[in-house]
This record gives sequence, structure tokens and C-alpha cells, in this order.
Amino acid sequence: MIKKILAGAVAASFAMAPMVATAEQCSNDTWNKVMSRGKLVVGVKADYKPWGFRNTDGEIIGMEIDMAKNVADTMGVDIELVAVQSSNRMQFLEQGKIDLMIATMSDRKDRREIVGIVGPNYYTSGTNVMSPKALGLTSWEDLRGKPVCGKQGAFYNQIVEQRYGAQIIAFTGNAEAKQALRDKKCIAWVYDDSSIGSDLSSGEWDDFEMPLNSEDDNPWALAVPKAEQNCVFGRFMSGMQYQWHQDGTLAELEKKWGIKPTKYLQDKQAQYNDWLAE
Amino acid sequence: MATRIPGISELSTTDLPVLKPFLPRSSPQLHTSAWLAGFSPWTGLLLFLPLMLWPFASHAAGNYTIIDAFGTLWHWIPFLLKSGFLFNVIISLFAMLIGTAAGIVLGLGQISKISVTRKISWFITQLFRNSPWLVLLFIVLLAFPFEITVFGVIIMIPDWMKAVIGLSLPIMANISEIVRGAIMSVPTAQWEAAESLAFSRQQILWRIILPQCFKRMIPPWMNWYAILTMATPLCSLLGVEEIITLSRQAMEAENNHPELLVPFYSFALGLFFIYCYPIARMTMYLERRYAVKI
Amino acid sequence: MDIIADFFRQIAEDYPRWNFIWMYEPLQQGKILSGIWMTIKLSFYCLILSVVIGIVGAFAQGSKNVIIRSLVQGYIQFFRNTPPYVQLLFFYFALGQFTPTYSPDGWLEIPIISNVGWAIISLSFFAGAFNVEIFRAGIEAVADSTKEAAESLGFSRFQTFRYVVFPLAIRVSLPSLNNNLINLMKTTTQAYGIAVPELLYQSVTIWNDYPSAQYPTMLLVFVVYILLVGVLVMSMNRWERKLRIPGYGH
Repeated sequence: MIKKILAGAVAASFAMAPMVATAEQCSNDTWNKVMSRGKLVVGVKADYKPWGFRNTDGEIIGMEIDMAKNVADTMGVDIELVAVQSSNRMQFLEQGKIDLMIATMSDRKDRREIVGIVGPNYYTSGTNVMSPKALGLTSWEDLRGKPVCGKQGAFYNQIVEQRYGAQIIAFTGNAEAKQALRDKKCIAWVYDDSSIGSDLSSGEWDDFEMPLNSEDDNPWALAVPKAEQNCVFGRFMSGMQYQWHQDGTLAELEKKWGIKPTKYLQDKQAQYNDWLAE
Repeated sequence: MATRIPGISELSTTDLPVLKPFLPRSSPQLHTSAWLAGFSPWTGLLLFLPLMLWPFASHAAGNYTIIDAFGTLWHWIPFLLKSGFLFNVIISLFAMLIGTAAGIVLGLGQISKISVTRKISWFITQLFRNSPWLVLLFIVLLAFPFEITVFGVIIMIPDWMKAVIGLSLPIMANISEIVRGAIMSVPTAQWEAAESLAFSRQQILWRIILPQCFKRMIPPWMNWYAILTMATPLCSLLGVEEIITLSRQAMEAENNHPELLVPFYSFALGLFFIYCYPIARMTMYLERRYAVKI
Repeated sequence: MDIIADFFRQIAEDYPRWNFIWMYEPLQQGKILSGIWMTIKLSFYCLILSVVIGIVGAFAQGSKNVIIRSLVQGYIQFFRNTPPYVQLLFFYFALGQFTPTYSPDGWLEIPIISNVGWAIISLSFFAGAFNVEIFRAGIEAVADSTKEAAESLGFSRFQTFRYVVFPLAIRVSLPSLNNNLINLMKTTTQAYGIAVPELLYQSVTIWNDYPSAQYPTMLLVFVVYILLVGVLVMSMNRWERKLRIPGYGH
């Protein structure tokens, strides 16, 4: 229910955006560059299974990579994937090192000022924790004053710390954070509920659970360079996301990569349903 | 025929209760190389035995056994070597190259007659010698542009190249100190003799002093190369694609089983050892060969 | 105080990339200050502990017992030939599993040694390995006749070491020791990898939360480390000059 309201609000805000955006001349630099070069450089994650991760040949594969390939095919150009991290993905896009960024980025207001985020958002996730079943956590207040493992760079680390008084221990990588959780150095691991869900369903974490209510449900966003936001490239990416929702591509990709089906995608598909379709 | 001078070329033979000259087993600068070279190649394998025994002792949190973990590692080895360790080697080689070139310039600047040059060179050397390498890496990697336009040509600077620049800064400062120390170690008599033969300062430096210093500088220079190679894993904290970053990504792709930590990190340790050990042996050999014979 | 805060707030508005947020926001200020304090604490404990390890190791190296000697050798070789960052990871994750724990609430197993403790232990052992070598070289510079003279006066091996050999050895090895200790202070930044909240860790947290504060914070970290190391260098040089043996050495 909340997700529907959120989705509606987001769609409405995007609908209003053109009215408040200053009318600028579109030079479409990035779009023209990609077309003339015949190659689209996309920044994706390589350490976030199953949205973007490596196979033994060293190639990057995953749900977001499939989305990126779809974009390149539609544009009729080749694709080049660049592995990015949370700490440098916006910078790379700003500097022009990548043309498009699909890297599990949460849609935040301060990020919208730096990169050109276009909707409708292709995914969503909330903040949640993975904690041992034996602990029996029931509310976020149980975290007060306790050590909680996290990953450097996540925006919700600060929120959880300030709102619930948890002591966040931020590691550079997820492997270290999860190992610390296993070693009982912290009582919980705070991360995206979609990633925690995928971990729990893998069967390696049977002693753990995701007990709390997801908070700060925050849609994900892909981004184009800021200058392209209201120009050809930005509009094109909006169209791509709309189409992915409507024809169920995203739901299929979810199934392909073993992600638990989310209500968000089902709602979106219903919302954008073609009224003439059978 | 080398002249034997007790107290300089060998231990003093007096029995008076005076302090012996400070003669460590090897040159004080060559700590790393001396000890790396000090033991047989089999010690490398012996070192990893306790590392490999650890997983058997650790509490198994799942049905993922250690055999599975090593089997997993086996699949990833070609990728880790080709795209991972190769970059560590490339980063260390280029950083050494650039650092040496800049270090020689700085070192010569430190002994310059012009006081401004001397002060600036001294300041730059001290600045980069005393800053933590990780902080320098952060600054260079995050603040440096990723492409530069030279005469209308856009040159892309990949991440590992920025890491090269970041690591070459402290190397430059240390090489500058080595150069300065080597030049200072040449007896003043040679400078005076050359001056009395009407050599200009430039000629003295390039024809007389530096050729002697060159041989003396090689062992500490190779020592710094070993230290630099061991410091390249720091780049992984900034996302540069080298062996530790790729090990983390590989572990993520394999669902982050804790049993994977030891095989992957031991593999990385083993690679570094296999690479640095022959260099250390070579360093000790060169030091013995180029020891100053008066 | 408010004038300074307002001044920096103004700069943050005029130059969006130069947000000196820790000058006017008390929360971020607290982070920076606690980070600096943690760095100073880490360096202080590591310096002292590594010198102690160096002295004990150097003493043990002269022992008659083969086992003790080879143990010290093994320790030195392990710590000098592996990257300190990987040593930190190994100590915290591998050895950390075996530390006894106490439980304040029946579930959480707080190990007796926290990650800060492991950082101190790992870095001290790393620097201690080099110190053992440095002190050994200093000890060998003491003439055998001096040691024999002490023995003839009835000093035990330990007393000779403490009253005669060591004071001389430390004066001789001071330059190399200073070098190593300065290196140790710089290596404490690598504790960032095991989430020790020292200055670099706090700064990265700040510029991840506020990308506009990245450049000023990087500048601050750089300057603070230069200052800290500079203070150490100056005090080491002063100590060196005070302990100089007249007419001997460089």
C-alpha cells in the first residue's frame, strides 16, 4: 500500500519535473558521442550478487548487466562494461568516464543534484538487518547501543546510527562484514533488504533471519549525465524503464537471477498495463 | 687487491674496551631484502601450512567444506592472475620507474648550490617521506581527473595509472634520500681533487661522483621495490582492480562463504612471496658484489 | 566561534565543492576529533609495545635455547615478508575467532580484544619484527670484552643486558629505530581496513555522507598526518641529539 503511494508520488514528481526544469538548449553531447562512436560505456557493480558480479572467466554478469545490454541493443551500439563502486560511481558519470550508470544506486535528493536520475525507478529496496534467530530481535530499538556491522558508503549507516543509536562498524567489503557477524562481533548486519533476502534464500544462512520491518523504502535509480537529463538520452532511459515495467522484462530478469519476486515490480506492471493487451 | 683497514673494511681487532663500529649483518637499509632472502625457498611452503590448517580448526558454519573452498579457488586462479596480480606487477613497475626518475631529479636538487632549489627539494622530499601511503593514494585517486586534454587529444587515465602516480610519490621521496645519501658518501677528497683539475660542477657530478654512486644505490633501490610491491594491495581499498579487489569480487560471486577467506588470501600472500623472493636474493647478491672495496 | 562557523558556511555555499562541514557542524567535528584521538592512541600504544617486543626479542635471540631462538627467527621472517594490511586482516578475522569472549547480555560475544586491540597487536608485532633486528645490530656493536668484564664482576646475563649492554645498544641503533617508528605511525592508517575508527576511517565516513565535503576533508587528513609525523620526527631528532655518544657515529 505504502509502496503504491510512494510509486505514485514518484511518478507525479517526475511528471511535474519538466515544469520546474529551466528550459535549456539540449546539446545531446553524450548521446551523439555514443552514436558516433558505436559504443555505450555502462558503469555496473561487480561485487553485488546477483545484480552485478563476476563469473570465472572474469566477465561481469547479473540483472543490471542484462538491462544494460538491452539498452545497448535498442540503441544499436556495442556495449562496454566498467566495474564501479559506491564510492566512485557518481564521479565516473560526472567526469564522462561512463555514459550510463546502472549500479544499484538508491535514489536520493542530494544525488539527484549531481547526476541525472530519470524515472520510473526500476527497483526498490528498504533498509533491514540480518540477525541471528537466537537473538530474537523484534524492533529497531533493540539495536540501541549495540554494535552493528555495515558496509562503508551505504547512506543508511548514518540514519540507523542517529535514529536508533546503533554503533555502526563499517567494513570495506561485505565478506568482512558478514564474517564479523558470524564471529558474533556484532549483533546484526545492516544492508538492503533485497540483498539480505537473496542471501537468506541461498541456504547458507539458516541460523539467521530478517526480523525487522524494512525502513526507508528507497527506490533505486539509474543515471545519465546531468546535462542529458532532460534531453534525448534522459528521455530515452525513462522510456526504457517504462517499457521494462510494462512488458514484464524486469520481473523475468528477477526470476532468471533468483531474486525473490517483489511486490514493487508487480504493482508497477499493473499500473502501466497496456489497456488493450489481453 | 683490496686493502684491509681494521675498523672500516672489517671488524676492528683491538681489545681495548671501545665500541665496535656499527656493522649490522647487512646494510641497515636492506632490512626487508636481507630477511626475505635469508631463508630457503621451502620456507614459503612451510609458512602456509599453519594457514591451511586453520580452516580445519574453525567451527564449520554450514556444509561448505574446505575442499569445496580450495576447489572454488582453483576455478578463479586464471582470472585472479591475469586481471589481478598482473596489475599489481604493472603498478609496481611503473610506480618504480616514475618514482626513480623523479627521485633522481629531487635528489640532485637537494644538493644544488641554488638555495631555493635546495629548500624546495628538501621540502618535497620530507613532505612525501612522512605522509602515510594510504592517505596519498586516497588523495590522488579521488582528486585526480580521469582524462586530460593535451593539445586537443583526450588521454584516458585508468584507475591503475592513478594508483601508479599515487604510489610513485613516496617512492620518489625515498629514492631522493637514497641518491642524496649515496652522493654524500663519496669522500669530499674526490670533489676537491676534481675541482683542482678544473672540472665544472656539472662535470664532476655526472662523470665522477654519480658513476660511483650508481652501484651503491642499487641494493637500497631494489629494497624499496620490494616494499612497494607489498604496498600495492592498499589500492584495493580504493577500488583499483588488483588481486585483493578481484579476490573480494570472486568471493562475493561465490556467496561470501567465510571458508573462502583463507584460501583466497593465502593465494594472494603466496603470489607476493613468489614474486618478491627472487628479487630479495638478487638484491643480497648485488650488495655483496658492489660492496665498497677501498 | 560563531564567526568562524558562519564564515565556513558561507564558503560552502559559494563553492559547492569546498564544504568545510567539520568546521561548523558539531556532529562531524566530533567525528574528526575522535578520529585524531584514536590515531594518537594507536600510534602511542603501537610505538611502546613494538619497542618492548623489540627488546624482548633481541634478548631472546641471544638465548642458549635453540627452540626460543628459532621461534624468534620464525616470527621475524613471517612478519617481514607479508604485507601489513594482510597481516591485519589475518589477525582480526583468523586469530580473532579464537579469542575468549565475554557476554554482556547473554548473546553478544564481545571478544576481550576488540578490533582496535587487534590493530595494536598486529601493528606492534609488525614493527617489533624490524625492531628485533635493529636492536640485535646494536647489541652486536657492544664489544665482547665489555660483556666479559661485566660477567667477571658477577653480573648475570640479564643484569649485563640491562645495565651495560642495552644502554649502549640503544644509543647506537637510535637512527634506524627512529626510521622504523616513523614508518609505524604511517602504517597505522591501514587499520582502516578492519574498521578501526581512526582519522582516515572517520574522514571517509564524512565524505561518503557529504560528497561536497570531500576535498576539504582530504586536505585536513593530509595536513593532520604530516603534523603528527612531524612532531614525532622532531622529538626523535631531539632524543637522538641528547643521547649522542661524543666522538662516535655520524
